[in-house]
Amino acid sequence: MNNYPLIFAFRDAVSGNGYLSGVTATGRALMAHEDGQWWMYGVCPGGIAESGSTMQEAYLRFRNTYKNALFDMAEEAKSFPGFKELVRNFFNDKHEEEEENWQSALRELRSGKSDPATPFSELPRWKAESNPPEISVTRLDAASQTFVASQNHGDLYALAEAA
Amino acid sequence: MLQNCAPGCTWRFSTHNRVITFNGHVYRTFPKHDNVELGHIRKMVRFLGIDQDCATQHIPGLFKVKTPAADPAKKSK
Repeated sequence: MNNYPLIFAFRDAVSGNGYLSGVTATGRALMAHEDGQWWMYGVCPGGIAESGSTMQEAYLRFRNTYKNALFDMAEEAKSFPGFKELVRNFFNDKHEEEEENWQSALRELRSGKSDPATPFSELPRWKAESNPPEISVTRLDAASQTFVASQNHGDLYALAEAA
Repeated sequence: MLQNCAPGCTWRFSTHNRVITFNGHVYRTFPKHDNVELGHIRKMVRFLGIDQDCATQHIPGLFKVKTPAADPAKKSK
């Protein structure tokens, strides 16, 4: 297989102009082998791509570029509502063509005609239907906000599988 | 390429990236540095809906060139 459908879960705290925001995303990306290297193409959000000599390198660069995009939007927005709108627009601007490629890769996995190669075979499997794309942008510096250690989550990514 | 294939497109630098706007879409993650890899350009072109044939004319090898024989729609003509 040259294309793998991935699901990722990122959580970031972003300082903006007068606020602290929490951005929690469950997104989709396609990991494809092209031009002799791995490319991680965003599906949702669609406007992002990164490469690496290994799948892991492409993922780490994708993660960093995603975070930098959030930082850019925090700079651009004058207030929290503006930041929230920018982030939601960025995330929800899906790439339809990439979505088709993602679904096609998922069908190939489901068919069982070819097995995922290492290291993809070692990734956790998440059901696509149970992990739809979604984004949450909340204000963390609100007076009513409570904080507990259980809210901490590391970055996660997995191979999508059909229900 | 953008001038010819994406008329009306605008772009600017942000702190970390180049932000390109076209066709109602905003591509926020185009690298700032020169010598951008083809995959970044390919993704940006596809995401913004820029004509791929036009882009390939300016950047050879960006997309596989469609030949008439490979295009069923043109075969019957």
